[in-house]
Amino acid sequence: MTPAERPLPPDALQLLTTDPGPWLSCDDCFRLVDRYVDALLADSTGSTDAELAAMPAHLSGCSACAEEATTLLLLAATDEGLDPAEALHRLTAP
Amino acid sequence: MTEVDHEQTAARQAGTPAPGEDWIAALTSDGPVRDDALRRLHALLLRGARFQVSRMSALRAMVGAAQVEDIITLAADEAMVAVLGKLHAFEGRSRFTTWAYKFAVLQAAVELRRQAWSRREVPLDAAPPLIERRPTPDQYAEGAELAAAVRDAIDRVLTPHQRRIALALIVDEVPIDVLADRLGTNRNALYKTLHDARSRLRAHLSVEGYLVPSPGETR
Repeated sequence: MTPAERPLPPDALQLLTTDPGPWLSCDDCFRLVDRYVDALLADSTGSTDAELAAMPAHLSGCSACAEEATTLLLLAATDEGLDPAEALHRLTAP
Repeated sequence: MTEVDHEQTAARQAGTPAPGEDWIAALTSDGPVRDDALRRLHALLLRGARFQVSRMSALRAMVGAAQVEDIITLAADEAMVAVLGKLHAFEGRSRFTTWAYKFAVLQAAVELRRQAWSRREVPLDAAPPLIERRPTPDQYAEGAELAAAVRDAIDRVLTPHQRRIALALIVDEVPIDVLADRLGTNRNALYKTLHDARSRLRAHLSVEGYLVPSPGETR
């Protein structure tokens, strides 16, 4: 395949056409990610912590932050003896 | 008094320690109690770094096993310094262990990405147009029209800088830390460029009738 014929992968197409949501920097994502992960595992996101509202969109658009947040969630869930499945599903869900 | 102070005071009055209070107390004490806490913290950070690296199998395979161990150890050591230097900033709004883990996870992930890409070229200036020269049967399937519109918009609507960053991060999947290193910038700046590029693409595609703006999203 020549460079000019390089296709646009479906995942890339989806990311490029999805609403990027409110701006949140990677530094702020790192500052908030432990609170976000613990809130997801406690099933309490969105209840009172408005500061976490921009996390799902950021994690949908930044693969590095998402990769690290997923690891953090799995570590925290294991330590607490919790099933991470539901929280993982909501990690990037608006 | 902050919201966190209120929560910690209420917890103390209820007879239960605030989140992480035992860790903070031990790490700021003296003698054997602190030594034991430091050992437990380093073990926790090693576990976090090792788990992060274990999840990055494709990149892990690109570096040697000995190098992987070095990355894990270095990440835990650097995270230890970061955690101890930021103890005063721990607000008790998450579990202490979750807060501490994140430093090791970040260090390990960033370092493995850098090592794995250290000998790989990032073809920034040669990023080609995403235009397929010959239509294929797949192009006529559902969504092909949108894909063509996106390819066209990437070339016509984005600035050269936005196009270069978006293609490198999304299409070529260059890790954001690696791209930041090569361009002498940082993760925040690149993500801002990508965020702006996505907003600009969506605005254009909405005007052209390919997308419906989300509630609150401006055209």
